[in-house]
Amino acid sequence: MENIRVMIVDDSTFSIAVLKRMLQKDGIEIVGTALNMSEAIQKAQEIKPDLITMDMTLPDGDGIECSKQILEQLQDTKIIAISAMMDEEIIQRARKVGIKGYLQKPVDQTDLDAAIERLFEGEELYGILKNNFEEAFKESIFSFLKREIGGEVVVEKLADHPMTTSSSGISVAIGIIGRHDGRLIMDMSENTALAMTRKILQDDGQQIDDAINFLSEFTNVIGGNACSLLNGLNRSFGLRVSPPTVFRGKDIIISIGDIMSESFVIKTDLGDVFMNVGFQKGDVEWM
Amino acid sequence: MDVTIINPFIASITDVMPQLGFSNINLKEQSEKTKKIVASGIVLTLGIVGDKKGNVAYAIDTEGAKQIASIMMMGMPVEELDDMAKSAISELSNMLTANAAINFSNENIVVDISPPTMLTGESIELSMSKDQVMCVEFDVDGIKIEINVALD
Repeated sequence: MENIRVMIVDDSTFSIAVLKRMLQKDGIEIVGTALNMSEAIQKAQEIKPDLITMDMTLPDGDGIECSKQILEQLQDTKIIAISAMMDEEIIQRARKVGIKGYLQKPVDQTDLDAAIERLFEGEELYGILKNNFEEAFKESIFSFLKREIGGEVVVEKLADHPMTTSSSGISVAIGIIGRHDGRLIMDMSENTALAMTRKILQDDGQQIDDAINFLSEFTNVIGGNACSLLNGLNRSFGLRVSPPTVFRGKDIIISIGDIMSESFVIKTDLGDVFMNVGFQKGDVEWM
Repeated sequence: MDVTIINPFIASITDVMPQLGFSNINLKEQSEKTKKIVASGIVLTLGIVGDKKGNVAYAIDTEGAKQIASIMMMGMPVEELDDMAKSAISELSNMLTANAAINFSNENIVVDISPPTMLTGESIELSMSKDQVMCVEFDVDGIKIEINVALD
């Protein structure tokens, strides 16, 4: 839990001292304290802490309003409510404004540690995912095509991709769901899909519907294998793939720019395959 | 027709659209389609996993999508479906599906959803993950929204 910068908001200097001691035990850096709402809002703006512990009763307002105003400016800051008062209604209100968790005073060190760990492990996991997903998907598609199609298989990463891409004929999308969610899109021409299907099944009678089924299963296997590789790196990813949806038509435009993603062109003897895969940072909604 | 699969989506659109500023939400048609569906305009698909597994595809024609984007962006005129407008529609599909997921959880069915994939084009032929697809068509202030659900 090192490198987490925390600000404590509490109207009691005693409570601030207690929380400070607990947080310091975890190696967390206390970058600021505030005794009331206006001081909290002003300091939060200046310091931009990673985490704020927020008392619910403040002399010039309440912790809900204070959190709401801070979160309007600082979307990346996480807030945990720490208050003597705790009931269903206030928990609901806290949740609604974007507070991530609620602990009742007196706070137990173990509960505090667990809450902070839960909130921040996602960041670290996202970093691991970002550094590894490309390799996992490249490896997955390369070994599949090499094994099933053979010949020359070259996976090229596109240095830059636009917000949208035109489909070559058939597109398959599968959703990836886990601690951080994502999406895999595979695209190829009808001819390539047909050629691959015929080659794999060694049957020249295969028609376009068979090719659609092939592409659907192909995407499922690539996605499933890559996610297994990633889950092997850290089980907390918990990545699962949803069933594929296949799109076919002329002049279809696919939007790919809405999440952090990478695009690849895989050159094979039977034609090119386009692959786009990306993830978005999932947030702990509530603990 | 398995209504337990489609009802959470019907409830979702009836709940969410008024919050965004739409007033007349009418269910026009409810049907069961075979695997292949043809749609024009914008198609958004989201994956679903958990106690039920499958996907949902929303289809809106281009004009309707522009109107929806405009209302979602506080009445800003939307002449063409640019990135901003697409992002609004994408967010709508996310909100509708997330809301449906909550409705499922009220029935003790726990599901998670993936980010949406958006495609645009004419006569897009869609093959969903299941042979039987539940389909509902809504008229939302004169805009046609079609929801196709394939869940097991």
